[in-house]
Amino acid sequence: MALTTDDVRRIAAYARIALTENELAEMTAYMSEAIKLFEPIRAYDLAGVEPTYHPIGGLSNVMAADVANKHGRSLSVDAALSNAASTQGKAFRIPSILGTAGGDQR
Amino acid sequence: MTRLDQLSAAQIASGVAAGAFSATEVARASLDAIEARDAEVQAFLQVSADLALKTATATDELRAHGAKLGPLAGVPVAFKDNMNLQGTRTTCASRMLEGYESPYTATCVQRMLAAGATPIGKTNMDEFAFGSSTESSAFHPTRNPWDAARVPGGSSGGSAAAVAAGEVSIALGSDTGGSIRQPASFCGVVGLKPTYGAVSRYGVVAFGSSLDQVGPLGRSVTDVAIAMNALVTGGRDPLDSTSQDVPASFSAHLEDPVEGMRVGVIPALMEHESIAPDVRKGLADARAALEEQGAQITEVELSHMASAIAAYYVIGPSEAFSNLARFDGVRFGYQEPGSATLAEQTALSRAHGFGAEAKRRQLLGAYLLSSGVYHEYYYPAQQVRTLITEDYRHAFARCDAILLPVAPTTAWHFGEVNDPTQMYASDLFTISLNIAGNAGVSVPVGSSPASGMPLSAQLQGPAFQDANLLRMARALERGIAKKGLHMPDTVAPAFADRGGEL
Repeated sequence: MALTTDDVRRIAAYARIALTENELAEMTAYMSEAIKLFEPIRAYDLAGVEPTYHPIGGLSNVMAADVANKHGRSLSVDAALSNAASTQGKAFRIPSILGTAGGDQR
Repeated sequence: MTRLDQLSAAQIASGVAAGAFSATEVARASLDAIEARDAEVQAFLQVSADLALKTATATDELRAHGAKLGPLAGVPVAFKDNMNLQGTRTTCASRMLEGYESPYTATCVQRMLAAGATPIGKTNMDEFAFGSSTESSAFHPTRNPWDAARVPGGSSGGSAAAVAAGEVSIALGSDTGGSIRQPASFCGVVGLKPTYGAVSRYGVVAFGSSLDQVGPLGRSVTDVAIAMNALVTGGRDPLDSTSQDVPASFSAHLEDPVEGMRVGVIPALMEHESIAPDVRKGLADARAALEEQGAQITEVELSHMASAIAAYYVIGPSEAFSNLARFDGVRFGYQEPGSATLAEQTALSRAHGFGAEAKRRQLLGAYLLSSGVYHEYYYPAQQVRTLITEDYRHAFARCDAILLPVAPTTAWHFGEVNDPTQMYASDLFTISLNIAGNAGVSVPVGSSPASGMPLSAQLQGPAFQDANLLRMARALERGIAKKGLHMPDTVAPAFADRGGEL
């Protein structure tokens, strides 16, 4: 199944990657090529075969008590903010989320 | 006069412990070797000279106070640049993380330091580990120390090249589909992808979470075994839910004979049309080297191997898309200035922060996980994973290790493989191992009669039998040395006499 440029445009929007028209054309060709590579997995009769999502079975989420960990794992506010491009006080600073007003909402 | 690159990791550690030379002198020798060699090799993205000297001084002070030193005391080690080390940047060779300062230290790095290692720097890689040649690094290529016109392999190309050029003794890499074993093969060093779960990934930037595993590269099986001891010392890491308890006993039986052990070969794969004649010769030598030591060759089958590439390039990009969603330009990473909305800022930050291959993989993952498509590819790929895992289980019931090529060819020239899907196909012999979570090691077995480039063979072993796999790898190394085809501790000849005097 070949993908169209419009298909890839939608996928790129979903993946939150703004592609140029040139990139869209390249990606469309690439994705169609890559999908051909996947055909062997559709060649088997997989009825009744259980999926394996992970090499180690029986894993569960690691939970911790909901208290501040002052012994290493929690980053200080300064450390947590230090790799961000825009900050304000103790917060990460971002443009408008809803967007109707646009620009910088101080 | 001794040169640093003539010494094994064990010799460096025992020399430091005995006072033959100090950790500081070793660190200076490593930095000097980098000064003399790395302008050409370009293995490093960052050389952490201050951190190295500070760590080495601390090691020397420990010794002065009579403390017992670790098994890697003073050994110069490099880390792939997807591993956090406080005091260094962790860039994943991406513009996205160009200025990212490690906020903490990864467990694998911490354990090498706890064993006494000196952190020399961070090595180049394919961007976010997407690639097999290190050409997708956003910053610069890394050259193969055996021939500067060729790639070092990837994605841990910088780690393999730094070890092969004698700049450091050991480097850590990560392997999602062959990214330790293939560059090890291209650069003529030993590279182990341990069993999934053997080494903690805490603090390593994730690519494919059900596939990623950290492992060591060194110039001998012995050095790789010593590094593995360090990586598992401390037991299960509570900070990585996949981490398992593994005994630090990789060196204990390394020299044991392999007489009577069984080595599986898969005739259809050994005769695969893609395998170059020189690689075939290396495999024949490897087989003979093991047979001469009494190992029994037995035919086995991995009947679903043909679908491994397909399954991998469904599972890998899907997991990558999920993992790389965190790069939105808000908490860290490149942020597009002047955006009107958060959505625009996210889409432009990702568009301009990621390189072409990182975008390709994420788009592929986004497509594969999208509604309606999931059941076409992702679900069947996970069913195929079951079949591949079962294949291995049956094969390992009949043998202790499987002998395979690492890659169909030796290192290729820059630009020679420039079609993405063609490059994916070169992962044929490494990828099924990650899908099943087993261990595999690349061992040098000589050099190509045609090009002089390193030849390697791969041994794959069952999960959590890594120590046994290294014993077989050591036997292979021993047999190959006896034939005079490749000596352990070999440094790429063009670099062996440049700087690094101790």
